[in-house]
Amino acid sequence: MTNPVTKDRRHFEDLAVGEVIDLGHETITKDMIFAFAREFDPLPFHLDEEAARNSLLGGLASSGWQTGGLGLRMLVDRFLSTVASCGGLGFRNLKWKNPVMAGDTIGGTVTIAELRRSNSHPQWGIVTLDFDVRNQKDKPVLTMRLANLVECRDAGAPA
Amino acid sequence: MTRWFENITPGEPFPLGSHTFTEEEIIRFGRAYDPQYFHIDPELARESHFGGLIASGWHTVSIGHRKMVDALFAEEERLRGLGEEPGVSGPSPGVNAMDFKVPVRPGDTVTYELVVNDKRASNSIPGWGLLFNRITAVNQRNELVYTADLVSFSKLRDYKMPLRLRLLQALTRVPVIGRRLRRGA
Repeated sequence: MTNPVTKDRRHFEDLAVGEVIDLGHETITKDMIFAFAREFDPLPFHLDEEAARNSLLGGLASSGWQTGGLGLRMLVDRFLSTVASCGGLGFRNLKWKNPVMAGDTIGGTVTIAELRRSNSHPQWGIVTLDFDVRNQKDKPVLTMRLANLVECRDAGAPA
Repeated sequence: MTRWFENITPGEPFPLGSHTFTEEEIIRFGRAYDPQYFHIDPELARESHFGGLIASGWHTVSIGHRKMVDALFAEEERLRGLGEEPGVSGPSPGVNAMDFKVPVRPGDTVTYELVVNDKRASNSIPGWGLLFNRITAVNQRNELVYTADLVSFSKLRDYKMPLRLRLLQALTRVPVIGRRLRRGA
């Protein structure tokens, strides 16, 4: 039952705690903020520059869900698409540390914090990933700990 | 909810409504934010253990957020209709826990509900309270899709700012001093 899509990718056994994934860079434009906000977060401070200036955020900022989504996309491009990923389990302690304003460039790292075999599914391992997303001034914008399933090459091997 | 912090009763459920996920929107979201093959390619997705295309968890959650925003606007309208001034909700500092349970497939209808489990005044931002919310999402078979424990800000109606803070706020309006104070904060 080899999965032809992921057979040549890195599997759970190939990963090591402490591995750091560089997220690259992504610039958030006004149009990106408006497009996401119209569909998922139509609050005035994500849709209207005047309202944004008068809000707690002090200017047009991306939805926190958009910032997290972009961080996720950067992780998929540089890591999850290169391993035998079987989907996410969820996350803990997501913190929006600073708003991402229109024109900001985000980047940062994701670090493998933990690796453990699944108790209920021996063919899977759980990789725990710590996000540290920052803006161009190196200020933190988002941190979270994501848990993702990765297929084991040898499900019969002792955990 | 766009109720004043003081008017929110912990434990009271707020239904947020439902959303039916189409294949087109699952793929569009996946391409933009989570381009793993089981979120963007129905053919390749069959090879995965999911056996077909599924929505990104981030997509299901983003729709849940949209439903919450719509509910805030509806509550605001309702209160205005009663001749009352609605409360003010602020940005969210974060999410304590998010657990994805069963995947969402094209054609699935997900129903969302929010319960404020607890509330307290904010220690860091005077005049605002913190709400500890749980969002629960279930599909048309009543299977749990996800649970989320979120924190959000809500303005206090009955807050009286202490003299010390009122003076500080007045000082932040003086150009040079204000910039220094904000930088120090």
